[in-house]
Formats: sequence, structure tokens, C-alpha cells
Amino acid sequence: MINVVDLKKEYKTGKEVVPILKGVDLTIEEGEFVCIIGPSGSGKTTLLHLLGGLDTPTTGTISLDGSELTSKTEKQRTIIRRREIGFVFQNYQLLPTLTVYENIIFPLHADGKKASPKDVQMLLEAVDLVGYEKRFPHELSGGQQQRVAIARALIHKPNLLLADEPTGNLDRQRSSDILDLLAKFHYERKQTIVMVTHDMFAAGYADRIILFKDGVIEAEVKREDDDYAKFLARFMA
Amino acid sequence: MSVKHSLLALLYEKPRHGYELKTGFEELVQGMWPLNAGQVYTTLDRLERDLLVESPGHDKKDRKLYTITQAGKEELWAWLEKPVGRSLFKDEFYFKFLCASHVTYENRQSMIRNQKETMLKDILHLTHLRKQMVLSDNKTMKMLIEGALLHLEADIKWLDMIAD
Repeated sequence: MINVVDLKKEYKTGKEVVPILKGVDLTIEEGEFVCIIGPSGSGKTTLLHLLGGLDTPTTGTISLDGSELTSKTEKQRTIIRRREIGFVFQNYQLLPTLTVYENIIFPLHADGKKASPKDVQMLLEAVDLVGYEKRFPHELSGGQQQRVAIARALIHKPNLLLADEPTGNLDRQRSSDILDLLAKFHYERKQTIVMVTHDMFAAGYADRIILFKDGVIEAEVKREDDDYAKFLARFMA
Repeated sequence: MSVKHSLLALLYEKPRHGYELKTGFEELVQGMWPLNAGQVYTTLDRLERDLLVESPGHDKKDRKLYTITQAGKEELWAWLEKPVGRSLFKDEFYFKFLCASHVTYENRQSMIRNQKETMLKDILHLTHLRKQMVLSDNKTMKMLIEGALLHLEADIKWLDMIAD
């Protein structure tokens, strides 16, 4: 379970202090698929980076399964990130000089662990990239690169998957493939997924949708709520 | 939607009784279109009258069974192969838009916005359904939903285009 309490994040540009998150309180249950939507600059990606320990808040706390992430040192956060969290980014962020296979096993390699060939094979099959193991990222399409990124995010069996606009650079068909993959993994592995998106087609996959505006949670709705579709339609329209 | 042909398709698969046809139909369409028992039996009567189905008798629970005849199979093939014409231009909203323009209706923008909201709701519903079809590995239904979503995406682009 993720517990966020009064989270604030400010950036300094010269003498000016720019508040990005202005006090966010949020609880995400284990195994939940949560989608965060909101206008550009509303703080969605900042929140995702803080949840993943890629950045630290100005004030406030984040707890992952009862352990306070925000009180950890950078080294401790790196270990947690490598073991507990998987990241998928809009721009894939694959390492260009590594092959598909090497990119996928990279999180384990960075943690000093060896990948089980069986696990890699299973993931390659799941993301439909068997036969592409020795190719380099520049030899792949955008959709294939994102599928490598998803396999890489899951190789260490994280409890939490954070996805920042995972379909942002893809056409509709490729987007659907990626969302299907996330849905399958979520169903089979019961991982918690937090996904930031602008995409209406992606938002429909989530159990709960949180609307961000000006650094705070403006509203949220659960799939079982009667006004779920109305809420989203009003925002997206 | 042709109930007649869907019943022929279900009977092509295997002989069934009326209730089995109702449940088979609901399974086929994933519960998206309701079909009452009355419709099933009325259609079966007509199919039997037209010699497209026949009854080999009753099952152990005394329920009347139906099988497809050769004429029924030929009717099914003919229906499957016949292309479907679409009168997309006769869309109800197109007509409303036409009338609104004709009378210089002041609330045309809210009319477009409301239409877009309705379509976005449909997208959400279908996206959720698509996810369920992916998880249950129902590839055919997934393809149909994908088709519907592509139409909705195009409709929304058009609404954005006509909004001032």
C-alpha cells in the first residue's frame, strides 16, 4: 500500500520558488490500477517521480508498505527502486548501446543479480519480442521499444509499476497493445500500477482515476461509482 | 442485428433447444444485446415454417430440439457473404447539426460538447469491455470493440473539427 501525506514539492528558479505539488494526500491500495490525469504542468509526473524515489519532496511523506520512503537516504531509495519498483516512461529510455536482451535484464544486473533465462523468455513471449533479443533499440519501432521497456520494468517482479504516459508516443493500435499488456500483467501478477496519461483510451483501463489540477488532487472517481464515465467525459471533453 | 441468422449460426454448431439458444446468443454477444425467450421461440417457429430448421424430437427433459437444415445452411452462407451497406451520412447527430445550422441555433457549441461527452462515455465503456476481452482472451470480440473504438475516435475528431 502507498500512503502519501501532505506532499509538497517546490522548485527554485533563480529567486523564484515554483510550487509544483501543493499538499497531496493519497492512499493507493495494493494491487490497485490507478490512473492520474490532468493538464500539463499540474504535477502528475512530479508525483510519479516522488513515488518512485527518483526525487525527494520539499515536505510531506510517502510510505510504501509501511516503510517511509521519504526518510531514506539516496542509496537506500536506489535499492528500493531496483527491487520494488518498475518504471515505464513515455520516451522508453532504453540504453542505446545494449541489445533488447541486455536492456531487459539491466535492472537485475544493476542490482548485482543474475536473470533467470526462464523469466526473460517468459517476458519476451509476453511482450511478443521472441527473436528480437539481439537487436538494438534503434532497430525497433516505437511500439517494440515500449514493449522492451515494459519487460525491463517487470523483470525484477516489482510490487509497484509506475508508468508515465506509456502510450504517449504511439499510434492507437500500438497504444492498445501496450495497454493490453499492462492489463494482463496487472491481472496475472496483482501488481499495483500507477499510470499518468492524457489518453482517454488508456484511462478506461484503470480501477480509479485521479484528476490533478494546479498541484493538488481536484477530484477522483472509482470505476464502480455511478458517475465514473460522466466525471471523465466532462474532464476530457 | 439478425436474430434469425444468429440462431442459424448457433444451430450450425450443434443441435440445441430454445433455452440453449437464448444462453448461446447471450454468450456470443457477451451480454451486450438482450434477447428475450419470446423472440427466440417466435424466430424458431418462423425458421421451422420456412424449412430452415427442423426438430429431430425432444431431449430427456422433454425440451424440443432444433437442428439446421441444408436450406438453413445455405441461407446462413448467403447472409454471411452479402456485403453490408452503411448509411453513415444518415446519422441522427448529422441531421441535428444540419437542422441547428439551418435555424442558426445559438447553443450549437453546447450541442457539440454534449455529443462529445456521450461519445467519451462510450469510449470508456468499450475500453473497459476491451480490457475484459483481453483478459478472457476473446480475440473476436476484441477486434469488434477495436472497430467500434476507431469509429468513435474518428467521430470525436470530427466534432473537434466542427467546434468553433
